[in-house]
Amino acid sequence: MSTVTGAATVTAKAAASPPRRRQHPTKQGEGRFGFMMIGLAVLFVAVFTAIPIVASFLLSFSSWDVISPPEFVGLKNYQELLADGPVLKSFGVTIGMALAIVVLQLLVGLVLAVLVNQRKMIWLRTIFRTAFYLPLLASTAAVSIFMGYLFDYQFGVVNYYLGLVGIPAVPWLNSPFGAATTIVLITVWQQAGFTFVLFVAALMAVPTDVLEASQIDGASSLSSLLRIKIPLISPTILFAAVVAMINAMQLFDQPYIMTKGGPGTATTTVTIAMYQKGFQNLEFGYGSAIAIGLLVIILAITGLQFLAARKVVFYQ
Amino acid sequence: MTHPQPALFGRRTLLKGAAGLGLAGLLGAATACGGDGSGGGSSSKTLKMLYFGEQSAATELQNRLQPAITKLDPTIKFEIAAINGTDWNDFLAKVLTQVAAGTPPDIISVATEGLQLMAQKELAVPLDDYVTKDMADLKESYFADVHPALVESMMYEGHLWELPDSFNAGNMFYNTGLFEKAGVDAPAEGWTIDDFENAASKVANIKGINGFGWVVRLWGSWTSFMYANNANLLEEGKYDGGDWLWNSAYAGDPAAAGRKGGWKWGAPTANSPGTVEALDYMIQLNKKGLSPKPDVGGGGTLQGLFASNRLGMAIGGGFWAGGLTNAGMKKGSFDVQLFPKWQSQRHLFGAGGYAIFKSSQKKDLAWETLKQLVKPETFDIVFPGNVTTPGRKSLMTAERYAKTGPKNWSVFYDTLTKHPDTMPIPAPPYYNAMATALNQRTTQAMSSGDAKAALDGLQSDLEKAAS
Amino acid sequence: MSTNTDINTALSVTTPPQVRTPVHRASAVGQIGRIVGIAVLVLGAITALGPLLWTVSTSLRTPAEAFTNPPQWIPLHPDFSNYSAVFDQIPIGRFFINSVIVTVLIVVGQTVTCTLSGYAFAMVEFPGRNAIFAVFLATMMVPLQTIIIPVFVIIRYLGLSNSLMSLVVSALGSAFGTFLMRQYFMQLPRELGEAARIDGAGHFQVFFSVYAKMAGPAIATLAILNFSAFWAEFYRPLIFLQTQDNFTLPLGLVALQGNLGTGSISIVLAGVVLAMLPSVILFIVAQRYFIAGVTAGSSR
Repeated sequence: MSTVTGAATVTAKAAASPPRRRQHPTKQGEGRFGFMMIGLAVLFVAVFTAIPIVASFLLSFSSWDVISPPEFVGLKNYQELLADGPVLKSFGVTIGMALAIVVLQLLVGLVLAVLVNQRKMIWLRTIFRTAFYLPLLASTAAVSIFMGYLFDYQFGVVNYYLGLVGIPAVPWLNSPFGAATTIVLITVWQQAGFTFVLFVAALMAVPTDVLEASQIDGASSLSSLLRIKIPLISPTILFAAVVAMINAMQLFDQPYIMTKGGPGTATTTVTIAMYQKGFQNLEFGYGSAIAIGLLVIILAITGLQFLAARKVVFYQ
Repeated sequence: MTHPQPALFGRRTLLKGAAGLGLAGLLGAATACGGDGSGGGSSSKTLKMLYFGEQSAATELQNRLQPAITKLDPTIKFEIAAINGTDWNDFLAKVLTQVAAGTPPDIISVATEGLQLMAQKELAVPLDDYVTKDMADLKESYFADVHPALVESMMYEGHLWELPDSFNAGNMFYNTGLFEKAGVDAPAEGWTIDDFENAASKVANIKGINGFGWVVRLWGSWTSFMYANNANLLEEGKYDGGDWLWNSAYAGDPAAAGRKGGWKWGAPTANSPGTVEALDYMIQLNKKGLSPKPDVGGGGTLQGLFASNRLGMAIGGGFWAGGLTNAGMKKGSFDVQLFPKWQSQRHLFGAGGYAIFKSSQKKDLAWETLKQLVKPETFDIVFPGNVTTPGRKSLMTAERYAKTGPKNWSVFYDTLTKHPDTMPIPAPPYYNAMATALNQRTTQAMSSGDAKAALDGLQSDLEKAAS
Repeated sequence: MSTNTDINTALSVTTPPQVRTPVHRASAVGQIGRIVGIAVLVLGAITALGPLLWTVSTSLRTPAEAFTNPPQWIPLHPDFSNYSAVFDQIPIGRFFINSVIVTVLIVVGQTVTCTLSGYAFAMVEFPGRNAIFAVFLATMMVPLQTIIIPVFVIIRYLGLSNSLMSLVVSALGSAFGTFLMRQYFMQLPRELGEAARIDGAGHFQVFFSVYAKMAGPAIATLAILNFSAFWAEFYRPLIFLQTQDNFTLPLGLVALQGNLGTGSISIVLAGVVLAMLPSVILFIVAQRYFIAGVTAGSSR
């Protein structure tokens, strides 16, 4: 076992990317070249995303009902936000659901990817890959609509089959916890396909030499999985976790269409609260403040993810 | 690796050029494609209308009315954009974005839900002067045909803001097949809430069927029971004024008696005994097994459930004549009756109509168009297939409902004519906040079983929103 | 595929040849493991495909049958009238064309901007590189509803409102796409580029002749991910487009739900199925590149 990890570490060091500071003959043009290459992307992202975000930031210091011009109010929106129970609750609801979604998404995707990877037959792999990816191709709105029918308390298919095995009907969308759970389930149902495909490809890229070496050493497939494969694909896991978390924190379609944020406020996510306070109540300044608050939280969470990654993620 | 040959022109330069050209080309094509919509309804040569409904209807309407508009001003192109959402929030979001971006429409269709918000924010203009100017014509051609309750619901602070053309009252639909199977007689006009509960119990005895179903929303949910219990969410009052209209348009009409300047919604009364009793009644219905816990989405699932013969009864308006038919129900398989009597038989309704935007530069033309929009022959272009109830009494004919049913269609308008206490849903300027809070607290009550606590919560929500 | 050639070379050099004979574990555990594995996969496939199958089969039935249990997974008498109703109720052909135009242009456009910038962030030294990239990432963290009004104001200022180009131009840059391409390029060996530069190639030449060729799988992935995402997009079209002629498919399909939900559920679901079809077909056709490329952004 230690030989294996020893070998892996050695190879890691040996395989570290070549020294980056070698002097290139044409280094002076590089900076300019770099700027030109990113020029287009920066232009579009700046104009259509960055500048609007700055605009929202500025709006968050104003009171604006869209119809009359904005009115500067300083930090009032933020003060109100920190005292706004329902909105603060929505942050809690969102983080709770997001954590569940991301963890489940990663787990399910990983387990399925490992299992699919073990199949020796290509056609089996193709079938399963297609099956697990298809849910992602439906729009989130469509998923919310037909899942709403499937999880109906009385007439939904899910409760019907549960009833067949003797489980009493579950109040999926009629109870606070049930509704949150249902939203998590249908989101994972869709998004697991994305992590699944990421991990399948990452696993396929794990060099067979290391695996063979460990098998010769007598490692069981479970331990080779845990000690070799997973560390080797940990950069992928990090990427998936970061992207999944950013998306889950902005969850809107599923709770909005399925439960309108209910029952009560059990599934009111931050974006729904923002939509209600912003568009519906004509308080765009306040809505923008909520959005900036969300941005800060997501940044913090992402930062935490990268910090944790330093200890756990293994780069080659 | 072979030595890459240096190109004649740096590839870099070529790409830069191409990118530049491409970008310019894109923008050029873009402005060419998009030129039409870029100007606001105010400044360019279009009369713009935003309408909540289906685009196919909007396009046909646009084509139908264009000649009339061209006659008034040959340079103007009439453009109707339909916005389809499951509720008025999507519509409102779109309207606001356009206002924010400086491209507001000239005419807008607004329902009761949005009327007071628009009026209070002065997004629309009062129609008083226009109506007075054309009263000679309108009195016979329009007001004589439209029940004053609908007109009153479009008033605010003494002014008329819209010309209503449609409405929906909360009547009770029932499944004739299920009633027959359960041995329940068709409900009579004056049936009571006990009759209702009896019917629901009998129907619920059939395996797998619910006696009554409802959906969480402001119009036609437990709120109908609340109205029948002579209670409300907000204090009911009326603005002064309005005589300019009642005395000229409805002179001598008893139906106009006591009507003033529009509904004035006062302090919240969400946790008043009558209101709590109504919500609690729904909880009891659920506990007795007569009614499932309600859906939180729009009315779509309710319609689906009713249409698949799972529900004995549900609250619906004229829009279900078309809706249930679209959902596959055969004519005769459903029918309608007035809402049952509790303390009274007071019904709620919501109305729809058209308003002129304040920023419009073509108000006179918009007014002429408004008059066209509320003509009898326009109704079926705008709302094909009985997807709402006509505001004009003359359009309520057996012929209209011959294909879709229900047999008892006269109930729809009778709700207005035979019941003077019928009044609109509470829709103050802060309607959105109120509706959101109502939905939240209703689902809370249904899942916790405690109506009083939920409504205490609603009371404080509304007090905050009203301030 | 994204095999790291460095590791392979290094491994074959440094791993000492083992002398011990392989030990075969008791096959019972292995067998059980395999059976459990297949069972889990099958269960997973049923879970993944079940709801989709229900949607398709319900779209082939009348609305009244939508709630019958047990559900008929394969309808005995498929009723295609719901599909023809979709074509009757909305000009789906027009919407389809609009969606194609918008989606294809966005996909092509993003391929260009994201590949160029992704390469630069990965391979090219320039001042402020990390800071700018961090800002890029941060732009992914603000929800669309927040910025939609400022974006719409900008769209209008550019004279693009109500045009299909409004959707395209505002989506030509993507932080996610740049991120994806950057990750991919970072995995490619630097020696190739350095060798080319030593040989006298200009920066752009290095990019174009050396690395761009290898970016195929990543580009394919980004293209397909973008296709699915923008094909199904609803919110921006809702806000940007005014007249029906310009509507894209998802926006047009909402009309099927009818005013205040008076539409038929079977027709709505038929519309859902129709909307999914192009993405599904594209995926099946391009599966090879797709799976290969998805991983592109992941390591490092």
